[in-house]
Amino acid sequence: MAVQYDPALIGRVFEETEPVPVTAEQIKAFCRAIDETNPLFTDEAAASAGANGGLVAPPSFAVTFRNGRDFFKHVPRFGTRGFDAGKDVEFVAPIRPGDKIRLASHVKEIYEKTGRSGSMVFVVIRSTLSNQNDEVVAHIDHRFMSRT
Amino acid sequence: MATTLDLHCHSEASEDSRAPVEAYLNWIKLRRHERPLDGIVLTEHRQFNRAADYRALEDKFGIVVLKASEVETDYGHVLVFGVNDDILRRFDFSNVRLNAQELIDGVAEMGGVAVPCHPGRPNVGLCEHYEKKPPLENVLAVELLNGGSRKGENERTELLVTRHGYRTTGGSDSHLVSLIGLCATRFEADIRTIEDLVRELKGGRYEAVDFRPRRKAIPRAVHVEAR
Repeated sequence: MAVQYDPALIGRVFEETEPVPVTAEQIKAFCRAIDETNPLFTDEAAASAGANGGLVAPPSFAVTFRNGRDFFKHVPRFGTRGFDAGKDVEFVAPIRPGDKIRLASHVKEIYEKTGRSGSMVFVVIRSTLSNQNDEVVAHIDHRFMSRT
Repeated sequence: MATTLDLHCHSEASEDSRAPVEAYLNWIKLRRHERPLDGIVLTEHRQFNRAADYRALEDKFGIVVLKASEVETDYGHVLVFGVNDDILRRFDFSNVRLNAQELIDGVAEMGGVAVPCHPGRPNVGLCEHYEKKPPLENVLAVELLNGGSRKGENERTELLVTRHGYRTTGGSDSHLVSLIGLCATRFEADIRTIEDLVRELKGGRYEAVDFRPRRKAIPRAVHVEAR
């Protein structure tokens, strides 16, 4: 029998976070932490002459925004064991100092598969990051695996 | 003219692969001296990627790109070649518990071929299921060489092939660009379309071929007498 779940779960936004302001200092601190030296991300003067017309965050900055407190309560569970099966990040637009970023999360997909170690159910939660102009800047797909 | 095809690989259309088809073709072009492939068959997990059109890439690289599926059954995973609307109407490819015998017979009736893959793999291969259940009927071929197999899995398949007299195919089961073409199938005939492939799998002459690099022997330690 195929994995059973309420189809209404798919696509319904279950959580939206408050906007989080982004500063140039945060971006530079992130760059220092990951040893990013590209002046497009670290030097306002050099960045203003670059393709983005000003300082922007490196793409991986997108993963620094936290989901809401109740995020995990909304992840559908199948079976009793499982683990975080990874994340896919799609970068859509640059994040800039002064942006206010919020996350909206929904269940994107639930599917079952079989492998060497048995049957598994995967739940994919998509968090969409948007700025104060309602422009999407990134999608983060969190993949959770459960043993059935 | 003979044709060598990787009959089992996954592009980014499969949820667990990050390999763009163009990157596969570029890699084949660069590595033809090691892995002389004429083409690949994309066998996406639990789906048939009907919308994908790779003709422009075929023309750009001069490499055949065909589409098939890898589905999941009560006897393990099975590659389905020659997927058509009739097959998709009858079988829900997202169902991980398809009846293998119904699939093999139904696909054959509707013009395709179903080939059990990585038979030696625990849980999702024929060998383990044959220990508990009667063998499937009307199996034409199984995947003898799978590039993703662990030690002992392809060897277990060899015993299965000897016992049941199946024809054999090979495929890389690649989910990453650099693994494409490690195992493949060499056909005596020229294959350019999925119809050609199905025809040859049903009645043609072919064999699994192995392009995996041989591991270099580790030099034996030499004992030097102290003077």
